[in-house]
Amino acid sequence: MHKLFSCLAVLVLTWACPFTHASEFVVEVTKGQTEAIPIAVVPFASAELTAASFDVAQLVSDDLARSGRFKTMDRKDMIEQPHTGANIGFDDWRRLNNDYMVVGSMQADGPDRYSITYELYNVLTKQRLLGFQISSNRAGLRSAGHQIADAVFEKILGIRGAFSTRIAYISVLGHLPDKTYQLIVADADGENPHVVMQSREPLMSPSWSPDGSSLAYVSFEQRLPTMYVQTLKTGDRRVVSAQAGVNQAPSWSPDGKKLALVLSTRDGNLDIYVKDLTTQQLSRITDDPGIDTEPQWSKDGQSIYFTSDRAGGPQIYKVGIRPGDKPRRLTFQGSYNARPRISPDESQLAFVTQENGDYRIATMDLRGRGDVQVLTKGHFDVSPSYAPNGAVLIYASRDKGRGVLALVSADGRVQQRLVSSEGELQEPAWAPF
Amino acid sequence: MPGFVREHSWPIVLSVVLHGALAAALLAATLISVNHSLPTMQPIPVDAVVVDSQVLHAAQRALTERAEQEAARVRAAADAKAAADAAAAQAAADAQMAAAKQQAAEEAKSAAAEVERTKQAEAARASSEAQKVAAAKRAEDAKRAEDAKRAEDAKRAEDAQRAAEAKQADDAKHAADLKAKAEREAELKRQLAEEEHVSAVEASPARAQYIARLAARIQNAWIKPPSARAGLDCIVNITQIPGGEVTSAHVSQCNGDAAARQSIENAVYRASPLPAPPDPALFERNLVIHFHPDE
Repeated sequence: MHKLFSCLAVLVLTWACPFTHASEFVVEVTKGQTEAIPIAVVPFASAELTAASFDVAQLVSDDLARSGRFKTMDRKDMIEQPHTGANIGFDDWRRLNNDYMVVGSMQADGPDRYSITYELYNVLTKQRLLGFQISSNRAGLRSAGHQIADAVFEKILGIRGAFSTRIAYISVLGHLPDKTYQLIVADADGENPHVVMQSREPLMSPSWSPDGSSLAYVSFEQRLPTMYVQTLKTGDRRVVSAQAGVNQAPSWSPDGKKLALVLSTRDGNLDIYVKDLTTQQLSRITDDPGIDTEPQWSKDGQSIYFTSDRAGGPQIYKVGIRPGDKPRRLTFQGSYNARPRISPDESQLAFVTQENGDYRIATMDLRGRGDVQVLTKGHFDVSPSYAPNGAVLIYASRDKGRGVLALVSADGRVQQRLVSSEGELQEPAWAPF
Repeated sequence: MPGFVREHSWPIVLSVVLHGALAAALLAATLISVNHSLPTMQPIPVDAVVVDSQVLHAAQRALTERAEQEAARVRAAADAKAAADAAAAQAAADAQMAAAKQQAAEEAKSAAAEVERTKQAEAARASSEAQKVAAAKRAEDAKRAEDAKRAEDAKRAEDAQRAAEAKQADDAKHAADLKAKAEREAELKRQLAEEEHVSAVEASPARAQYIARLAARIQNAWIKPPSARAGLDCIVNITQIPGGEVTSAHVSQCNGDAAARQSIENAVYRASPLPAPPDPALFERNLVIHFHPDE
């Protein structure tokens, strides 16, 4: 409209509009790429200081690479190592195909005091996008690095980074009859593991409360399955369900006031129930002779996704929590689809699917035509769980006969093993922000 | 002596002037020969400037633009002159018509006065020659009829003249209108021809090919952030220099978030240098890139 007016003005003044019209050269771009964005994270400090403290820049680089959204530059390919924007030769870095770069410096301010200054630059436009200073002790340098990675991730992609979040998982150590089960909480990159609960009997199904303060899980320490909620900070825990038969697969409602869980009747039939954590009131959600299990709340807290074999093999269904609501089947492709998990914006459903005898992580588009994409290529990839920003999923896999944790980007482009300590790792659950 | 001078003043002046001229010529010749006898061996300064082809192109382009602007200016002047001519013709026609009207009015007035005068004379004659009334009546009647006829004739002639004048004025106006119309049509035709030329270039396969190449290049360079989905609609105005290097990119209107805008700006720079047109004449310095992903 504006253009039209200026064109008219030009027309009135000089009768020259046909010329400006001729220069309107419009190129339509309707497709783009989903490839990783190239970025260089230049070391922040001298080799000596890094050795004495911690390599923050490397952690930032690793975080970004692990997200699948970034392609980080190898240090040995860096022609120079600037620490401030003023020293960046943008044209050189651009020639090395970097779109962005992070530069910074770290100083030792005292015996256990460090300050990190960092900046994020757009190499193509030469614009400075971020510039911050973080102060930390030696122990906090790791989380300082995750913070920097989060800020960079969000600035470039427009979605929150999840590098400062945590994961929970079950680790099984030793062999029968000397097995130990541990419930572990670690940083999102698998570092910094802490044992939250340990037992000689099986531990299962850790589930985060929406505020990240507590974990619900199932323990066989009383020989019978019992469901607990444990507060992480204090270690306090309480029994939330100890019915006769099974008590399994807890899932917190979005408001944190209810738990969906699976209970069994006397004849062993499994159904989905909801337990109000304040009133202890129990309401039955499904009533079917088949097995109904692995509930997961919808974002609005009005429905529950679950697995059921009511049609023969396991498939995924969704049911409203109001009495009388009829379950609706969601998966139709293949004979085995189980363990539904929704992405934080509920645009995607992740689940385990069977493909040529292998178990793999797949996603289904919940907004469009219900397209299914198989993300992983392993033989036994199970227990998917979304990062709170929806960009990545963590899942349990097997590597040379050992249970390991792995990550896959929500579009399946990048897959990565998570470094882990010893033990058989199972049932990862990504914590909320 | 004074008589001699007075008698031969011209030849004397001539001779003085000629002598003066001769002396001046001799002096000049001497000076020039002196100068020639001292040849200066100054080096010839070569003002060599490496002209960047891009600068040259820019200069040429500026020249072309100036020529275009000049042409536009000349055209505007011609248009203004045509309009002025038409206005002048109209004014002349109007003046002529006013003059004709005035003349007709005056003639009518004088005719009326004549009639009045005749009437008065006849009345006087009637009073003094009352006895001749019967005898004169026929003659008088005849005369009155004749007068009436004459007045009628005069009026008819006057009407005819007025009509002729009106027609003439009308014709002049019509001619002016025709001329103006012809000029407008010529201008329209010229504009049409220009537009036809532009659309011929726009419709040419080479141009379409160029645009397709640019689109492919930029699509390959665009890494979409999560927010860049169907519904995003952004316009980027970019400037390239010959050789395809992008020198500026500005997102002018965009319904996306900061990440989407940045990715779009980056896409253009990542695509730099842009592909060359199949025909150098198709090179466009300023391009408009319209980003609207279909998924």
